[in-house]
Amino acid sequence: MESKGDIIIEVENLVTHYGDTKVLDGVSFTVRRGEIFMIIGGSGCGKSTLLKHLCGLLRPTSGRIVFQGSDIASMDEDQLAVMQQSIGIAFQSSGLFNSMTVGDNIAMPMVEFGSVDPSLVKPLVRMKLSLVGLAQAEHLMPSDLSGGMRKRAGLARAIAVDPPLVYFDEPSAGLDPIMAAGLDELVMKLNKLLGTTFIIVTHELDSIKLAADRILMLDRGKVIFLGTLDDVEKSTNERVRQFFERRADEHIEQRQLA
Amino acid sequence: MTPTRVRCPETLDQDTGRTLFEVVCGKKVVPADVEIDLSATLSMDSFGGAWILRIAEQLRNGGKTAVCVGAAGDVAAFMDMLEPGMQRPATDTRVDTVLFEEFGGEVINFTKEFREFLELCIDAIYWTLVAPLEGRGFRFGAFLDELHEMGVRAVRIVCLMNFLLGLIIAMLSAKQVEAFGLQIFVANLVVIAFARELAAVMTATVVSARTGAAIAAEIATMEVQEEIDALRGMGISVTQYLVAPKLLAMIVALPCLTVLGMFSGILGGTLWGIGVLGFQPSIWYEQTLGATSMGDIGQGLLKSLFFAVAIALIGCHNGFRVTGGSRGVGRMTTRAVVMDIFTLIVIDIIFASFFYYIMK
Repeated sequence: MESKGDIIIEVENLVTHYGDTKVLDGVSFTVRRGEIFMIIGGSGCGKSTLLKHLCGLLRPTSGRIVFQGSDIASMDEDQLAVMQQSIGIAFQSSGLFNSMTVGDNIAMPMVEFGSVDPSLVKPLVRMKLSLVGLAQAEHLMPSDLSGGMRKRAGLARAIAVDPPLVYFDEPSAGLDPIMAAGLDELVMKLNKLLGTTFIIVTHELDSIKLAADRILMLDRGKVIFLGTLDDVEKSTNERVRQFFERRADEHIEQRQLA
Repeated sequence: MTPTRVRCPETLDQDTGRTLFEVVCGKKVVPADVEIDLSATLSMDSFGGAWILRIAEQLRNGGKTAVCVGAAGDVAAFMDMLEPGMQRPATDTRVDTVLFEEFGGEVINFTKEFREFLELCIDAIYWTLVAPLEGRGFRFGAFLDELHEMGVRAVRIVCLMNFLLGLIIAMLSAKQVEAFGLQIFVANLVVIAFARELAAVMTATVVSARTGAAIAAEIATMEVQEEIDALRGMGISVTQYLVAPKLLAMIVALPCLTVLGMFSGILGGTLWGIGVLGFQPSIWYEQTLGATSMGDIGQGLLKSLFFAVAIALIGCHNGFRVTGGSRGVGRMTTRAVVMDIFTLIVIDIIFASFFYYIMK
């Protein structure tokens, strides 16, 4: 039986390329069940790419990603689909289906996975929407919502079927501070009450300090920091210090992209 | 009346929740208000919570109430989290309209759309014809790109379609006149048909499916992704930037394609005449040349000019009107092609009646 503290996902020496560019370079870490694990780093350092690897949307050049004992990189389509159904993903730009109402969007995983009693779909949709403060938006179309509201609806869909593992790609970007704080609180509540594991890509220093159990920092595809918030204080890495003290570079760095 | 008390099991999930629901709401008439006792419950998940919400809703519909009591620790925190969902659900605010409202709405929509279309037309005429002469700029590079995309890249399909159509027309008509021995006049028929009607209409149909759809999809996608707003925000005229090059490219490309279409169609007819009907090439050639008149060709080309304006403007117009994300882009693209083809036929009818009955 699964219990808190097990390793839920283990990444070993992950290397990946976009064309000739190495995006991730030997990334290794483990995430334990019931953790809030945050991935941070400057723009373009490979965070979103890493997240896409963790849910099997991209295949690595080399390395292993072990999810509950089996390697994602060597799964076939069917196994991957089973794995993906136990993960909730909230995308950076919400990923809502434009052709359905917000309510239908959230009902979709419940109906498609077939694991939910049909009569429960409605109250569950209402519950999840009210958790993100969108109870009134059930019958609206995604195009009627603002960017921040769409994002929250995306989160509601990600947590629709109580998945044991949830990925958030920049959940609070584009939200006002009040809403962002509310989301942090929601993440912590779900984490505490349902034991949901969260892997969150973020830039938000405040939510890192509030919610993160452990932090992984990437820079140019390499792990430059892995540890708790207390460890940050002890870190001697210049980039890490700079990030947490919110200092600008002396010159805006021009990244080599191709 | 004292409320009925129901005890919840230790874990409240999808299965135990269903049992609870059946116990409380299984009877036809719920006798009294219900107290859901959560004191024995140690853990619950969203599904369990959803069952409680269903029970609450069911009772509310029957004029009774349900309250949760005795929750402690994590379960209490979970119930707190669900609290907003216990209230009345959002009502569907979309109202049903009656017949007259719908009719009026349609009329208003139509006039609004017509006005937008007229504005676009006037803007487009200004930015394509007047503004360049005033020295306000025309994107010549974009015009050439569009010309290549709309014109050069469509040559093969336009020629092929017209060629096959020419073949079919010759095939069909030869059979009809066979009994009278007038097969040589098939050459006349093919030439006149392609010069006046078929090349222009066939080419315009192919181009509206190809380019009209592309224009609508491109502009609609730009609108959805706020690229159009970005242009406007920079103080750049959208009509100048997007519409004018497309419109002029279409006006140049479509008549050119139509000329190629006429050639290919006549070539198709000729192939049938010489290859199958067995006429001497020189005889067929003479007959064809004799039937060719500049007036017919001019008629076809004039028509294709109008087709070009219609295809470009309808594509742009539908692109700008998009609402509702990716689904909207698809809908507007379809709409553009349907409107294109309808408009082509209308223009064609107007021309035909004008030239055959008024001009004689």
